[in-house]
Amino acid sequence: MQGIWIYSEDSTIAKQLLTAGLNLKEAMNQPLGVITLDAGQAKSLIDSGADKVVVLKGENNWPESYAEAIGKFAVQEETGVLLVGGTLRGKDLAAKVAVSLDAALVTDAQSIKAANGSLETTRLMYGGLAVCTEQVSLPAVLTVPPSNFEEAKPVEGRKGETSTIDVSEFDQRISVNEVCPIVRQGVDITTAGKIVCVGRGISQKEDLKIAEELAQAMGAEIACTRGIAEDYHWLPEERYIGISGQKVKPEVYISIGVSGQVQHVAGIRDSKIIVAIDSNEKAPIFEAADYGIVGDLYEVVPMLTAALGKK
Amino acid sequence: MPRILVCYKWVLDEQDIKINRDNLSLDTSKAKYKIGEYDRNAIEEGVLLAEKLGGSVDVLTFGTAAVKQSLKDVLSRGPEKAYFIGDPLAEKADASVTAAVLAAAIRKIGPYDIILCAEGSTDEYNQQVAPRLAKMLDIPAVTFVNKLSLEGNQVQAARKLGDCTEVLHVEGAAVVSVMPEINKPRIPSLKQVLAAAKKPSEELKLTDLQLDEKALTPKVIKLSIRGFVMNRKNIIHKELSQTDNVAKLVAELAKEGVY
Repeated sequence: MQGIWIYSEDSTIAKQLLTAGLNLKEAMNQPLGVITLDAGQAKSLIDSGADKVVVLKGENNWPESYAEAIGKFAVQEETGVLLVGGTLRGKDLAAKVAVSLDAALVTDAQSIKAANGSLETTRLMYGGLAVCTEQVSLPAVLTVPPSNFEEAKPVEGRKGETSTIDVSEFDQRISVNEVCPIVRQGVDITTAGKIVCVGRGISQKEDLKIAEELAQAMGAEIACTRGIAEDYHWLPEERYIGISGQKVKPEVYISIGVSGQVQHVAGIRDSKIIVAIDSNEKAPIFEAADYGIVGDLYEVVPMLTAALGKK
Repeated sequence: MPRILVCYKWVLDEQDIKINRDNLSLDTSKAKYKIGEYDRNAIEEGVLLAEKLGGSVDVLTFGTAAVKQSLKDVLSRGPEKAYFIGDPLAEKADASVTAAVLAAAIRKIGPYDIILCAEGSTDEYNQQVAPRLAKMLDIPAVTFVNKLSLEGNQVQAARKLGDCTEVLHVEGAAVVSVMPEINKPRIPSLKQVLAAAKKPSEELKLTDLQLDEKALTPKVIKLSIRGFVMNRKNIIHKELSQTDNVAKLVAELAKEGVY
């Protein structure tokens, strides 16, 4: 097995993966290449450390449709390791390429190292409750979450070769239309310094006002659990925190009526201070909290708002 | 009328798993099994399609001998027939093995017009069985779907992918993985629970699926699973007087310098 390859439909993520790829290159003594759909990025990918860049050129604008071509290429190159940017599109493609290559596939690998002719990776399990260390046989495909690694530093004048593969065969059974960019409204909670997070302890949408008033008194942003965004649609999806939603790292995070399921807690781990208010003393959120109050949120939150507002 | 199949996984309820603080090992002794949370959305979507269009909904699962306990639960959620493969191999199976077993089972019991999966299982959350299955069965994969309809021979599916939405049209059969926001699964009624006991289920033996040893050998081996422990202060106020509790909390926030 030879060759370390990287693919992402997003060149920023491809450059992050080059950081991981360069580490593997050194440990495994193998060449490092990038497969890209964007010919314009070839030079900067080489500057960032790719020995080779292969540009897939085809008429199809749907990134997933290149899985077949990447699979064929990976087999032909006897690829040892393929790192794929862990977007949803990347995960879809990676699984199909793994079948072509008859390869292992690790989803959302957080750390990657070469060990005795195989790889050792870590990833989360049980919704973030546990970290699982795995031995992965080669050939191996890994998806890596975006922003898991810093972008590789470009060095001007690095040498590398670029080649182009023309892709003309696409699955005629699938057609894609109505492609619309999502316009994000409001702020990005992943960069917020203070967060007030609501969960299902809030009994109706009108009562979000209680949380909004606290947020206002603190200068915080409102966030929520997956259930509030996806089941009740009380708040937009970009405001939900969790392993499959946003991961936040504020100075202070205050939860109101959040039970603290592991999937949610996985998204707040990097908060500096975690505060929980909930009526259920046994709610798991209290285990994850620095400070907490057991009580009726409808009584406690307005008092807290008043106290913080006074200062 | 469409023939619909839903794949599901019988998983340990992660809310019941405790972490042993001394060695970070997981204590699963009190954990019960459940149908994966996201799988319930896939089952519900299959049942909704059949309610609208007619047709039939079967379910399929691969697990250890414990999967047998899932049959009544899954059938109470609306499907007509359950197929299961209960084999100790499932204990160590990675997603490549699971997909190979499911694909072989589908070749035996199929064909289906649409095969539904969750976006990922609640325990492993590998998010790869659906696209692997599609590739193995040589039919299109339509993943991470939040809106689905079937019209004649055509699957229509809306996806939401971080920064954009798109609509896919697929001619013929497809494997579709659904996001939790696609629907809200019903809680089975007592009548459905009672009716489930009379619905058929069929065991498929791994040895009858004609898979070679290579397909059944996991490529990913778990070396260790350690609980993720956060070191937090855990200062929780439980006094009857909320005035006192709030005053203490405000003082603590001030001391931390976050207020």
